[in-house]
Amino acid sequence: MAEVKEVPGSSTRDETALDQPWNVVVHNDPVNLMVYVTMVFRKVFGFSREKAESHMLEVHHKGRSIVWSGARERAELYVQQLHSHLLLATIERSGS
Amino acid sequence: MEFYRISDNRLGLREIPPLLAGLMRQIPGPFEQDGRAVEERLFPKPSQDPGEEGLREDWKAHVEPELHAFFLSARQVVEADLRGFKEEEGGFALDIPAGHAESWLNALNQARISLAAQHHLHEAELSQPGPMAILDERDLAKFQIHFYAALQQWLVETLDVS
Repeated sequence: MAEVKEVPGSSTRDETALDQPWNVVVHNDPVNLMVYVTMVFRKVFGFSREKAESHMLEVHHKGRSIVWSGARERAELYVQQLHSHLLLATIERSGS
Repeated sequence: MEFYRISDNRLGLREIPPLLAGLMRQIPGPFEQDGRAVEERLFPKPSQDPGEEGLREDWKAHVEPELHAFFLSARQVVEADLRGFKEEEGGFALDIPAGHAESWLNALNQARISLAAQHHLHEAELSQPGPMAILDERDLAKFQIHFYAALQQWLVETLDVS
């Protein structure tokens, strides 16, 4: 049986990259209150209190938290909702 | 100053000292919203990826105007509620429809973010207790940010239990 060798730069890699989901990332900022950020996460994503607080603490301690991953269009909508609540949020390709 | 719940549909503040009533009247602004630092914080970019210039252009053209309108609407709700200030013995009093709490939270956040950006207040300064003395506009901005935070905290906790 012939060994299959990976060809550098082959299209397989590009297709995999296209299939990768998009992350919604919330970044730390000095103004938003912790209770407010938790409330927004619960409202926008329907998180439980525990999950919302866990993401809020990750933002606070690590500077950022990936709060959602999936299709790009939906990720953009979530970022828009987070901006409407004045949270610092961006989209990024998963694995970037 | 006391926060309390009047009924399921109404929230109240009473015995508000004149200084704090004055600061509450400033919640809808005008704050400096045209300054670059303020605008960049109120309308952040949706992506930090240099390859996403198209998204940033679309965002500026289509999403930012919607956010401008949304923020203005929240400030207008608060401005209308503030016309209900009553002067009573022991200070001022204000009733807020519970359904307006979201607009209040948003307008308070706009005000806090605008003040912090306008006066270049950083995390270390904002994480400290409010200023012990108000000697200049920067101290006043810090005090205002802390006072507005107390109002937000009360609103979030009130919404949380309702």
